[in-house]
Formats: sequence, C-alpha cells, structure tokens
Amino acid sequence: MSASAASTPTLAPEIADPRLYLDSIPHERFAQIRAMPGLAWHPYGDNGFWAVTRHADVRAVSRNPKVFSSAIGHTNLWDLEADALEARRSLIDTDAPDHTRLRRMVAGAFTPKNIRRWEDAVREITVELLDEFMNQGGGDWVDMVAAPLPIRVILSMLGVPVADADYLVELSNYLVEGTSDSQSLPPDAFGNTTELRLLPFNSPASHALFEYGDEMRSKRRAEPCDDLVTHLVKAEAEGGRISRHEYRHLFHLLVFAGNETTRTAISHGAMALAANGDQWQRVLDDPGLIEPATEEIIRWATPVLHMRRTAATDCELAGTQIAAGDKVVMWYAAANRDEAAYADPFRFDVGRGDNEHFAFGGGGPHLCLGAFLARLEVSVLLEEMAARRMSLEQRGEPVRVASNFVHGVLSVDMAPGGNP
Amino acid sequence: MSDDLVRVAVDEERCIGGGQCEMLEPEVFLLDEDEVISSVIGSGELPRPRADVVVHRCPGAAISIVEPQRPSE
Repeated sequence: MSASAASTPTLAPEIADPRLYLDSIPHERFAQIRAMPGLAWHPYGDNGFWAVTRHADVRAVSRNPKVFSSAIGHTNLWDLEADALEARRSLIDTDAPDHTRLRRMVAGAFTPKNIRRWEDAVREITVELLDEFMNQGGGDWVDMVAAPLPIRVILSMLGVPVADADYLVELSNYLVEGTSDSQSLPPDAFGNTTELRLLPFNSPASHALFEYGDEMRSKRRAEPCDDLVTHLVKAEAEGGRISRHEYRHLFHLLVFAGNETTRTAISHGAMALAANGDQWQRVLDDPGLIEPATEEIIRWATPVLHMRRTAATDCELAGTQIAAGDKVVMWYAAANRDEAAYADPFRFDVGRGDNEHFAFGGGGPHLCLGAFLARLEVSVLLEEMAARRMSLEQRGEPVRVASNFVHGVLSVDMAPGGNP
Repeated sequence: MSDDLVRVAVDEERCIGGGQCEMLEPEVFLLDEDEVISSVIGSGELPRPRADVVVHRCPGAAISIVEPQRPSE
C-alpha cells in the first residue's frame, strides 16, 4: 500500500494465521470482510495485502492478469527475494505470453475429450479402493480412498510406476507441511543441498521431487512411452519449446496439484455426504444429480483457499485505490460462500444450479489445469458409491492441516453405512 | 427475442486451451489436438443466453459474440 493512500483503509480481522484454520475455515471472519465497504487491508509481515473476498471482486482480479500479475511477485502471501522467485517459478507464477506457451504444452492432456479417455482407468481404481474400504468395514477415508485415487490417476497419466506412488504421496505430504507452520524435515533431507528459500514450499521434499522428475526424464529420453513425461521431454528436445527449469517445475506441479487438491475435495465431500444424509439420498434417487453434486462437493471443499496477485499498475477495485506493487489476495474460500453469489451458501445442496464456484480459480487464465480430471474422479466415485447403495458414517473428528493456503485433511475415520 | 441466434468467435492469441467452451457447448467448440487452441466448428451459432455464458466462463476472455453484420453503407 502506498504511503500516500488518501484515506485509511478498513482493517480486515486476522485471517492469515494458520492456526485459525485448524478446526475449520474462519467463515465468520470472511463474512465480516465481505460486508466491509471496498476492500479491506490486512496487515501481514512488514506490509500487508488487500483481502478480496466477494465473488464478483475475485472474478475481477482473476480475469485481469495485465493489472493483477502472477509473475511480478510471489503467488503466496509472503514475499520472496528476486533470486528465489526465479528459482521457484512454475506455470502458476507466470503471465502471458509465458503462461500461454507453457499451459498449451500440457493443456492437451487435460481437455474434456482427452480426460474422458481416462474414465475406465479411474473407475477401475475407484472400484478397487471402494471394495477394499467396504471389506475392511471402513477406516481412514483419506488413506484408503481420498489420497490413493487421484495420485494413482495422475501418476498413470505421467507414466510413473504404481510402485512409486507411496513415495510421491509422502513427498507431497511434506510439501503441504511447507504451507503450515510445522516442517518436520531437516534441510538436508533426501540429500538436499539447495537453500530452502530457493525451493517450492521451502521444502527439501521439492528437491526429491525434482530429482525424481529428472530420473523420469532420462528414462523417457532413452525409451519414449505414450505418457505426459514423454510428451514434455519431446517438447524440450524439439527446439527447446520448454526449458529444463520449466520441465522440472511442471513435473513438480503436476504431481503435487494432481494429488493434494482432489484428495481434499474427496475428503470434504465424504464428510459433507455423511453429515447430509438427505442430500446423498437425493443422489441415490436421481443419478442426474451426480453432475451438480460433483460441482457442489468441489465448491464445498475449496481445496485451495487463496491465491495472491501483485498489482502491476495503480488501479481501483470495488472503489478502493490499489497502488502498483500492492499484494491483492483472492480468497476463494470466501467467494465460494458469498451470499450475493449463492442462495443459502452454507447449505450443502447437491441440486444447486448455475454453480459458478471458484474452487478451480477465480475464472481467469490460471484456471485449474486438472479441473476436468478432478470432476471425473469425484463423479466416478459418486457413481460407484451409488451403484453400491453405499452411504458413509463419520466416526470422530477429522485431523486437519493448519494452513491458510490448502484446506487439507490428514485423516478422517469413516464407516460404510447400510444400504438404503 | 432472447432466443435469437448469435455467432461466436475465438481469438486464438488469447485462448489458453482451458476447455470450458468445449465442456459447455461441445457442438460449437472443439479444441485442436496438437495446438490445444479452441476453434468454432459448424455455423458457430448459439442462442444468445448460451453464448453469453460461454463468453462469461472463458478463462482467457478469448470468446466474443460476433454481432450480426449490418449491410455496408
């Protein structure tokens, strides 16, 4: 915020403290901020950020990347030194034209048509996991269903052997830790020698994931397959359409985002279905509700709570003056509960129509690459649960991640209910 | 009146291959397999309310409604 700001802005209540997220998203605080005039200013570190919480305002930021840049500052709340910003830059932290070029490099695998080709594979994995879950009489839903389903699918797409799935889930879990206050890894874990500030999520697990991606790259160079890594390796070989750095970070992003986010959606989805038996009964009675139920689960879960932009120029939003260089944070978690955008936003409604939620981003060019894959995974899971006339009973409280960035669930005990 | 057909067009420079258009209107939009750029197939005509939704949801703001051509003066 510029020192010359004409008037003192409204101050937002504290929403950045990760501990506030341990029990649930601090929805009351977000409701307070949505009701404030203009944009509220939230002190953070040496400076602060504009808290964008209304649906319409999040959309306005997301869809104006020339003004609200992903590249000139970090896309998380805290700032990075210039060398760290460069070292950590991925598809997420780019603007056009780099963003468009990189995105098109991988987007082909994630189009609606090409994602539908994975339906049988997704179903096969889902059936196996649900059968095991039912045979065991339930257990930790995250460990048994929500985590293995998306990771096994994304690893199949990348071409990673199933035997390595557990290792990559482990790395991904360590990366999530990097978004919270507790890092359990020593800096030299996995043989890391890079300064942590230069690694995504400040985590030595990023080093391990880069190393794994490099190994895959060498293997596919020697022996091409029909998978995403081979596709990227070819793009790198053919006239350098993608750099070495870009390859490593894309691999990292695909593993992490393809694993962590849908896991969160499936975890919160299961809890919502367990808590709202009437809504699940509607789906059982009407298979036509699978599609809107999938969207509602994704809105309900909002796996990524916010993304930050940095103002490239002086501008105005919601009547508030923003100075070039200011941090502007889109709180998807708040926009997805905006009374102005949804009737009864705190109601879990599997029949919700026109559900333009911002769980895949705020409607702009950084739209989640895996949106159609996530939808496929959630909808196939619902279909297979419905085919078994299976309901869910939650046993006890979930263990959640203390993070203001991801809405993660570490474990939640579930039992398969009767056959209604 | 609101069922008037309008023509839609894709700005290839702005398309990010997000696939929203193909999801919403698979009869009108197709993403090219290699370039991953959307293009209009067939007449590219949609009822105006549906065209408005596709324009609204395109993440790259690459889709526009082509107003009916007026006769040149």
